[in-house]
Amino acid sequence: MQALLSFDKAPPFAAPLRFFLTAPIFAMLAGLLLAWSGGEMLASRWMPDLLAAVHLLTIGFMLQIMLGAMIQILPVVAGANLARPLRVASWLHGGLSTGAILLAAGFWFGQPALLSAAALALGLSTFAFLGAAGRALSGVPSTSPTIRGLKLALGALAVAVLLGAVLALALARGWPLPIMHLADLHAGWALGAWGGTLLAAMAYVVVPMFQLTPGYPARPSWWFPGLLIALALTWGAAVIGESEWGIRAAQGGMALVGIAFAVLTLRLQGQRRRARADVTYRYWQLGLYCAIFALFQALTATIVPQLAEWAGWSILFGILMVVGAFMSFIVGMLYKIVPFLAWLHLQNAGCVPAPAMNKLLADAPMQRQWQAHVLALILLLGAVVLPDLLARLAGLALAVAAGGLFYNLLAAVRRYRTYLEAAKTR
Amino acid sequence: MTTIRTFMTDDHRHCDDLFAEAEQALGSKNLSAAQAAFAHFRTAMLAHFAGEEKTLFPAFEECTGMRMGPTQVMRMEHDQMRSLFDEAADALARGEVEDYFGVAETLLIMMQQHNMKEENILYPMCDQHLADSAAQLVAQLEGELTEA
Repeated sequence: MQALLSFDKAPPFAAPLRFFLTAPIFAMLAGLLLAWSGGEMLASRWMPDLLAAVHLLTIGFMLQIMLGAMIQILPVVAGANLARPLRVASWLHGGLSTGAILLAAGFWFGQPALLSAAALALGLSTFAFLGAAGRALSGVPSTSPTIRGLKLALGALAVAVLLGAVLALALARGWPLPIMHLADLHAGWALGAWGGTLLAAMAYVVVPMFQLTPGYPARPSWWFPGLLIALALTWGAAVIGESEWGIRAAQGGMALVGIAFAVLTLRLQGQRRRARADVTYRYWQLGLYCAIFALFQALTATIVPQLAEWAGWSILFGILMVVGAFMSFIVGMLYKIVPFLAWLHLQNAGCVPAPAMNKLLADAPMQRQWQAHVLALILLLGAVVLPDLLARLAGLALAVAAGGLFYNLLAAVRRYRTYLEAAKTR
Repeated sequence: MTTIRTFMTDDHRHCDDLFAEAEQALGSKNLSAAQAAFAHFRTAMLAHFAGEEKTLFPAFEECTGMRMGPTQVMRMEHDQMRSLFDEAADALARGEVEDYFGVAETLLIMMQQHNMKEENILYPMCDQHLADSAAQLVAQLEGELTEA
């Protein structure tokens, strides 16, 4: 009831926007690190500079946008209002940005103190956010698969961050832990249980919304998030119980659930009823195919573990999953969300009629940025096979694609401000 | 028994279908079919808004005493969508397809996020608070929506 009374209070534009605008800078940094380090970075998944670049992408880019969007989305989809969203946004943004930089620097320079500081900054800011989101969600009934998915996803984030912090501290202080198993588990909770569940919960809303597809069938929608979390828990239990077989079974199960979800989404997108294939649709198609490919890879490795002995195996998986799948889904959504929010806030500020979305961010620059992203992805995948030849170029291409995203979003925000000023002086 | 949530959600999907018809007509470059489909969509949406503003919301407000709460926000969003309908119909009448796409994109997201708030939050609340009169309300809404 409390939540319902105030579900009109959309947070100010500045709350989510700061996350959306700084995230591309972290992706640019990741690209530049690769351009700087070159092919050596891709020698193994444990290379410190690769770990730095990966976390610039997963925390600096992905987590930043995921939580920034969460501040916006909680009131709309769940009627759950964060108290003082602008203040939450401000410390969360500061904590995540600082944490991402500290963590990347800690890996890059091999500095235990930086790794510990990163664990502290990221742990504190995420858990403080989880507390705020938990308070907003308490008493909100799970009337839709999306609301339940969001709740489960937030729980999974807690585990992913906790595992990450333990790993960072274990590296910094030399704790005797099974680092490799824990790193896999951390990645499984971060990308699968948190990322996958959040993606599914959001997809239930945005795929029909943006593409006018039929809705997701009710039963699988309720099951996907719970199943992913249950399998991730099984994986954790198998690590504790030192059961190789259990670990592989849980990993395979998560891959299968992910594939089923991606195939279902592809089928729904095949029934879309929009007049044009816009850039969001292209990004999602790319993301879904990359996810399916990566998950098949993961599934195969659970059956034939020798495959993963090739150093490029996990790197290929990481590129497909992070740059090919998650970044694509996220950028595809940003290209709808940012112009729409700009329109909404202009409208609410009395700029009536507000300029339509394509006047705030036109199709052509988004299409160009999409092409840059595809090129970067192809070069990155190529660099796994030909690191010496392609790694630097791939890094530059990633930086250019992320720079294009930054430029496009900034241009939309500038147009928004121009219209806003004009409306005020009128 | 049909709940308020199910009945009104079905009507949202019906309106989505009509919106999609306009999109698809434009996809096959048939402007006059798009104009007709959009007019049809607009009529259905306006009838849906009217059913809510004249029947459902007053019943909810009467029962809960919440007059300035969620229903007020929904009314405001209805107004925003009404002006988007006008803009979109105007663009189609002028044959400005690009302008239409820009407005339609905005309208689609506006409409879907609005529907989501109603379907996930407001309608379940209506079912909860208006349990005694739900059947009668649904019958009344059904009459109003088919009239349009």
